[in-house]
Amino acid sequence: MIELFNSANDAVCGFLGINSYLQGVIVMVCINVIAVLGMSVLTGFTRLFSFGNAGFMSIGAYTTAILAVQFKVNFLLAIIIGALFAGLVAYLLGSITLRLNGDYFLITCLGFGECVRVLFNYTKNLTGGSAGYPGIPPYSSMLFSVICAVIAFFVAWRFIHSKYGRNLTSIRENAMAAEAVGVNAYRTKRMSFTFSAIYAGWAGALYGGYLMYIVPSSFNLAKSCELITTTVIGGLGSLTGSVLGAIIVTVLPEVFRALANYRMLLYGIAVVMIIMFKPSGLYGYKEFSIKRIIAFFRNLGKKKAPQPVAASEQGEEAEKK
Amino acid sequence: MSEEKNLVLEMINVEKHFGGVHAIDDFSVKIEKGQIHGLIGPNGAGKTTIFNNITGIYKPDAGKILFDGKDITGTPPHKVAQLGIGRTFQNIRLFSNLSVLDNVIIASNLDATYNMPQAIFHSKKYKDREKFVQEKAMELIRIVGLQDRVAERANSLPYGHQRKLEIARALALDPKLLLLDEPAAGMNAEESMELVEFVKEIRDQFHITILMIEHHMDVVTNLCDYCTVLNFGKTIAVGTPAEVKSNPDVITAYLGGAD
Amino acid sequence: MFLQQFVTGISVGGIYALLATGYSLIYSLLDFSNWAHGEFAMVGAYVAIVFSTMLNVPFVPAALAGIIGGAAISFLCERFAYRRIRKNGSPNMFLMIAAMGLSTVFQQAANLIFSGQYRSYPFKLPISTVHVANAYIGVLDLLSLVITAVILIGLVYMINKTQFGLNVRAIACNAPAAKVLGVKVDKSIASVFLLAGGLAGVAGILYGMKYNVFPTMGNVGLKAFISSVIGGLGSVPGAIVGALLLGVLETLVSGYISSSLRDFFSFALLIVLLLVKPSGLFGVEVQDKA
Repeated sequence: MIELFNSANDAVCGFLGINSYLQGVIVMVCINVIAVLGMSVLTGFTRLFSFGNAGFMSIGAYTTAILAVQFKVNFLLAIIIGALFAGLVAYLLGSITLRLNGDYFLITCLGFGECVRVLFNYTKNLTGGSAGYPGIPPYSSMLFSVICAVIAFFVAWRFIHSKYGRNLTSIRENAMAAEAVGVNAYRTKRMSFTFSAIYAGWAGALYGGYLMYIVPSSFNLAKSCELITTTVIGGLGSLTGSVLGAIIVTVLPEVFRALANYRMLLYGIAVVMIIMFKPSGLYGYKEFSIKRIIAFFRNLGKKKAPQPVAASEQGEEAEKK
Repeated sequence: MSEEKNLVLEMINVEKHFGGVHAIDDFSVKIEKGQIHGLIGPNGAGKTTIFNNITGIYKPDAGKILFDGKDITGTPPHKVAQLGIGRTFQNIRLFSNLSVLDNVIIASNLDATYNMPQAIFHSKKYKDREKFVQEKAMELIRIVGLQDRVAERANSLPYGHQRKLEIARALALDPKLLLLDEPAAGMNAEESMELVEFVKEIRDQFHITILMIEHHMDVVTNLCDYCTVLNFGKTIAVGTPAEVKSNPDVITAYLGGAD
Repeated sequence: MFLQQFVTGISVGGIYALLATGYSLIYSLLDFSNWAHGEFAMVGAYVAIVFSTMLNVPFVPAALAGIIGGAAISFLCERFAYRRIRKNGSPNMFLMIAAMGLSTVFQQAANLIFSGQYRSYPFKLPISTVHVANAYIGVLDLLSLVITAVILIGLVYMINKTQFGLNVRAIACNAPAAKVLGVKVDKSIASVFLLAGGLAGVAGILYGMKYNVFPTMGNVGLKAFISSVIGGLGSVPGAIVGALLLGVLETLVSGYISSSLRDFFSFALLIVLLLVKPSGLFGVEVQDKA
């Protein structure tokens, strides 16, 4: 099965002339896109914060790896189980911690992420401890990762543009009003948290398949912070923005090799600047769409913009940046 | 006692304390179907606390709240809303960054009875329900007169329109009982009279019962069938607006003076 | 043995307390977790390093410079970043995201300027120990304990007995009302950041004396966060108690169970505590008014 995907991948890459370095970059972009989409649903749409998503990534990665290596489970099934298991853990954790107020919830997430890492380090027999878990089959080819990222985006898009997504945004906008119109805030938050963990687990599973080797320290607090940073750079409340953010954050250091050391410094500065000076951009909450771009240029030609479109133009500009 | 069946809301000896303060003390009220009942009283008299007890934001320390004959004491807010009690807030609470349309659609989400796979694969049921919800929301927006502003962000609307949007949103729950918290706040005399007509219209059109908090006496006089006057958490008068206005206790409470 | 561990624990807890109180003060005013607080300590520690090892200034003035450095960076963050975000009317979460960004910036900057190596103060405190009732207690621990105790007592006095403390408590209670009553809100907030930054500077130097100075030492801010959550966010006495508890727990776990499981236990304690007491030990349950 893996061979099938990988030879298809070779055929596609050969046809398009994509070398193995570029393939690697694309795989990392896809992995980050999936993880950031999860974070985006949680932070951008529900305004919940999780410093534990790296923990969920590691749960997905280890579950998939152990199933695939030790129990010889088909990798597709292993990935699905890995992602769902991360979701299950989030569901259980959320059940007990989502009743806590804002920052108290935050610290339990953070604590959870750290606990998971310490545990994976400690359970040497199962996970190899800090020496890492080797021998994961190389299932994360470029073709497979791209297919995953496309599916992930499609599902997230439909999820957000249904009553479920509307419930999430209502919590973000005003939790008390949301409850007053019948939205169960607790269950809605838990759904968002679970969704985000499934995506994190999925991304973690692909990450393992790409490196063929995982260590607990790849999934530390800094990784969780990076996911949040990327989400903010892409724009809170926008799925297309998150995809864009993930691409920028992954590709930029590859393009400007000299800047690699300054990578996190620059991202940190970017986050602070965005929050300070571009809250309208963050408030834009607009999705990228061809239709709106056409409307934008048409209105430019007419030099007369009706009001509602004028509002969306602003969002559009924010989106492009 | 035969009209007991017609009671939409009944509160029996409800009490709520915050620390040592009796925010509401031994509060009882009966509201019949189709009535408009006013809650009046000076600031801090405990009016909003009563709303918060009905809608489950607070749990009463004593007493019972019956809605449609069913005990809803201590039921959580979203369940109360699902049972059919809609409300507005004293300091408007809209979904500020969402469009007017989305504000109302969220409140009709209970009519969107599809499940997750149906939403992801856009099944026929999803499409039908979404269409229904959209149309319902548009209709409500038309009723409150905001049809020209559906795409605008809620917080860009002028104050009066925001109040109307809040009412439209509450109506999207198909409520049997509507709680209005100072709907005429910040309105001038002319706007207040418009509001009186508007509230009467929605009462008749949707066959709902209304409990409202209001300071403007002219609004209360023109709109309410009955009213309850509160002061420092205690009920000091009950009756028709005319009766209440001539009650000496009420006059003292409003004009100040010895307690 | 136990006494020894206990004193070490209290002394580590004291360092956490210096950070946690600042954390709590800021939280009580602005309702957000200042994620960059640990980095203020790191900056303070590095300023003292620069003065003492590079400019050859004697240790005490260098330490004072470090404290001032911590206060200054804290003040600057509030003045140029947080204040603007507050005036934008952004939700509190944005303050926290900005704090997270600042924390990354400081940490990375320290890494670039000073490289990742561990540095220590040219500071010859006798590494000797004091022998008290079967226990050997480090002089450094005792010194740190005394300094922390004096500062914390002063802080609690200031919060409870002075006009400044009253202003701060008024803003914490209800900022708009305090403003109407003539409290200079922005100025008081800035002062609190100065104060909290100074405390963080002290903590950074004490921590640096004990464990050396390195770019990621600001992660100790996490311990301060945990401490103030244990004590109840926004409560200064709570933060002190939480910090001491955490310090003792950590040393005992390292001493008797396993040092690699230390953080696991602190977080587990935290989660269990929050499940039993959702607003921490001294926290107040807030009910949102409709």
